[in-house]
Amino acid sequence: MEFINHLFFSFISTFGFAVMFNIPKKQIFSASMLGSTGWLIFHFYSVYSSTSIISAFWGSLAVGILGEFLARYKKQPATIFIIPGIIPLVPGAGMYYTMDNLVQNKLTKAAEIGIETFMIALSIAIGIILATSVSKVLKKTIK
Amino acid sequence: MEIINDRKQLMLLLLKTGETMLQCGAETYRVEDTMKRMALSRNMQQFDSFVTPTGIFVSSEYDDEVFSYIRRIKSISIDLQKVSDLNNFSRLFVASEMPISDGLKTLNYIREGSDFKPYLKWICGGLASAGFTKLFGGNYIDLIPSFLAGVALLYICSFTNKNNISILVNNIIGGMIITLIALCFQFIIPSFNIGPIISGSIMPLAPGVAITNAIRDFIYGDYLSGVSRAVEALIIAIGIAFGVGIILNTSNMLGGLL
Repeated sequence: MEFINHLFFSFISTFGFAVMFNIPKKQIFSASMLGSTGWLIFHFYSVYSSTSIISAFWGSLAVGILGEFLARYKKQPATIFIIPGIIPLVPGAGMYYTMDNLVQNKLTKAAEIGIETFMIALSIAIGIILATSVSKVLKKTIK
Repeated sequence: MEIINDRKQLMLLLLKTGETMLQCGAETYRVEDTMKRMALSRNMQQFDSFVTPTGIFVSSEYDDEVFSYIRRIKSISIDLQKVSDLNNFSRLFVASEMPISDGLKTLNYIREGSDFKPYLKWICGGLASAGFTKLFGGNYIDLIPSFLAGVALLYICSFTNKNNISILVNNIIGGMIITLIALCFQFIIPSFNIGPIISGSIMPLAPGVAITNAIRDFIYGDYLSGVSRAVEALIIAIGIAFGVGIILNTSNMLGGLL
């Protein structure tokens, strides 16, 4: 039940963002599914491992690899799938909580959340870059 | 003389392609790469470009004459339809012998572009907010205020974007509106969870993509772009936090007084 809940609501969120980002109409469904996949991996990994940094890495790596596959299959640039796909993972709320604590003068808390937010953003970026680089190498060797 | 004119037209075409790509949220290296490929396909010598999210610099050489152009980029709003169209256009341009005037026409057509209806975007903003509220641990009943807050947020943003209000003020206003709506609902029915509602509803504003792209730029070695995007993300986050903080703090104080 929890699984379906997470699947559904992450799909809805990514769908909303896909429309706000004006992605080509035919790709909306696959981009939203990609967002859900990323979130499910992120969420269930972090439930069992209790660190959201490594879970963000696995989530974004999956988004990157699947995004590259989708891009090849649908003949679109990979960004179209990757930007909506990482939306559920990105630490927008973390960035906000950091600033919120700073505004309220809770400096230690702010540093704590801020560093975690930065590390999550870093691991998302690393996951995507790994996927992109591997796909570039593969493309060259297959050709 | 004619050839030189032709080269200038080609430079303008490249610049316009790069500008549109950057404004629609393409990554820095992709913009540079696309312009380079297009230039090479027309035998342009010594072509090089320097792209940052705030401006594009390009220069090339022909027959001892140097052409260089600068284009200032003001606003970036993500529009992936145009990124996809431009990608197809640049591939076609590189692969075929498309005349430059035709290329400019196609480019103008792409820039006009199709877009979703505004009210559809507002509703989708609401859906995204509601979805995140649930993912961040809200109850089903919290979805109603966060949906309304998301719709109101996108509605207000469509006004502020039109009037070129600075990004900081825009986010302060957005944060204030979300918090006001959440507080109003909580005032009527105290069982609403205000935390998930606010943190879900600010997601359409939150600079998640900006911060991730900033780090991607750093890793690819585009340090200036990375700094520029990271600072943008920081200013957005400061704006939201101030907007939310001002209203929450004031309402706490007023609640204590009353």
